[in-house]
Amino acid sequence: MIELEGIEKTYTRGDVVTRVLKDISFEIHPGQYVAIMGASGTGKSTLMNILGCLDKPTDGHYRLDGTDMVELDDEDLSHLRNHKIGFVFQQFHLLQRTTALKNTLLPLIYADRYPEEAEELAEEALAMVGLSDRIDYRPSQLSGGQQQRVAIARALINNPAILLADEPTGNLDSRSGAEVMSIFQRLHRQGRTIVIVTHDRELAEHAQRVIVLEDGQIAEDHRISQPRDAEAELAALAPAEENVG
Amino acid sequence: MKILRTASEGLESLAANKLRTCFMMAGTVVGIAALTVIMAIGKGTEAQVMRRVENFGPRAMMLVAGGGRTIGPPDASVATLTLADARAVRDEVPGLEIVTPQAWQMGAGLRFGGNQSKATMWGIEPEWHDAWNWYTVEGDGITDEDVATMARVCVIGSSVKRDLFGDVDPIGESLYINKVAVEVKGVLERRGVAGASGGDFDNRILLPITTAMRRVMNVDHIGGVRIITSDANRMADQAEQITRLMRVRHRITPPAEDDFRINSPLAIAEVVRGTSGTLTMLLTGLAGLSLLVGGVVLMNILLISVAERTAEIGLRRAVGATRRDIFHQFLTESLSVTFLGMILGSALGWGVSLAIQRWTTMPVVVSWEPLAVAIGFALLIGTFFGVQPARRAARLNPVEALR
Repeated sequence: MIELEGIEKTYTRGDVVTRVLKDISFEIHPGQYVAIMGASGTGKSTLMNILGCLDKPTDGHYRLDGTDMVELDDEDLSHLRNHKIGFVFQQFHLLQRTTALKNTLLPLIYADRYPEEAEELAEEALAMVGLSDRIDYRPSQLSGGQQQRVAIARALINNPAILLADEPTGNLDSRSGAEVMSIFQRLHRQGRTIVIVTHDRELAEHAQRVIVLEDGQIAEDHRISQPRDAEAELAALAPAEENVG
Repeated sequence: MKILRTASEGLESLAANKLRTCFMMAGTVVGIAALTVIMAIGKGTEAQVMRRVENFGPRAMMLVAGGGRTIGPPDASVATLTLADARAVRDEVPGLEIVTPQAWQMGAGLRFGGNQSKATMWGIEPEWHDAWNWYTVEGDGITDEDVATMARVCVIGSSVKRDLFGDVDPIGESLYINKVAVEVKGVLERRGVAGASGGDFDNRILLPITTAMRRVMNVDHIGGVRIITSDANRMADQAEQITRLMRVRHRITPPAEDDFRINSPLAIAEVVRGTSGTLTMLLTGLAGLSLLVGGVVLMNILLISVAERTAEIGLRRAVGATRRDIFHQFLTESLSVTFLGMILGSALGWGVSLAIQRWTTMPVVVSWEPLAVAIGFALLIGTFFGVQPARRAARLNPVEALR
């Protein structure tokens, strides 16, 4: 359960005070698939950083599963990220000289207790994104789409409360993008809470609900009655071979 | 443990960037190697000092004719030191157990039958045996009577026995020393060590001092006086008294320099230490410089690496690494580099020490102590130069790092 209440974010540079987020309040219930949409400069990155507990709001409250992150210190926020949040970034952010398996289990390294079955968990997570046959590959040996799928596996390994994806298809071709989106839809059907942040309305319409930001404020917040079906879109695309193997 | 997991992240980064790791390590390797060699030389020098002092006698002093040089064979051409000087020292300086004059000549020609050799000739009094704690193993030593009667007798060192007599029993045989015939009455115990000048200690022949001065060398002066003090703690004081006495007796006034010198264990230790001092100083400079420069290079490479890996650090923070985890990871890199450098440097220093021992006359003792010092230095440098980059990495703002 995500609750945002009167979130403000202002940056002060010299005498200039910029209000990036203005009185943002909304809730996301477990199992929802939400897209936060807005053009660049509307504060969606800032909102995404706050949702991901990487940054704190200047004012307001953000409760994640009942914990108000505003009151936590840097170390507790690190723990919170480790337990509750799975990140997927536009640039994948994989460790280059490290295998898919090792990349996937990275969050476990920073967990309080390193599970004995860490490698099995990582293998399961990679299986979920269809990369069972690539566990020993390094990022340079994988296609962009495969790299992003490793990143999704990494985001899933701690069984997080939210999967937070920032322009997850921004660096991908349409086919790989559709694959990634179909994985999100599958994860949603399995009950995951997913938040994707994007400027792309078509992408946003894969979600159940779209929150549109304009000038730091919520301009729209509505349900999508007929979300786009990534599987169908993938099927409609001309079949292509996996380009890197 | 979490700290081990974050440490292993640091190690993996080192393993993945081998060339960079080598650069980070170079200074530590050279510095620790130099340090190891310094300690080996230092230990060797001290062992040699101990040996020399033991050899010379910890309670012994030598009053030697001729000033200037502090060690080495006495200068035979200086004719100012006399038997009367030796008597004066014996009578006027308190607390001396033995004061015994000696005259000597390097490279005296010896002949027995068809065999010839050269040896150092010593004119001595009986107390010489006690003063050097060196006695005969065959026959007898020099006696007071021999001295009083200017007897044509001698005691030979084991090398002289070997060179001149071979298998013949020398006792009772006569040999010629500078064309003077003397009868062998004893053979000295073998010392088997080199003297301060590096010569063969056993290649010597002892004559009564009177015989040596009158019959062989035809001189009135002596080479030196061997002195044994009854209390080693008073040695410096006694040397001072002897110096004053000799200056008065030889009518030396400032600014004229002494025409004699006094060797003591302290003076010998100084000389021995002096020979390895230059190299030790050079190596100390090298060690200090390498460790400092190496540390600065290490720090800079780490700082560059922190800058290059900003995104990686941001990602690690995003997936749950705390500041402390990041700090540990980078400090581990730094400490591992210096620790590995320490091991390689110790091995290198060990090898160089062994090589010095094998191919030079430099005294070297290879031991395990330098390793302990090296471990200390590795930790010190790894920490000192690693903390700053590690702190910078830990302080990165994850939001900016991920941008």
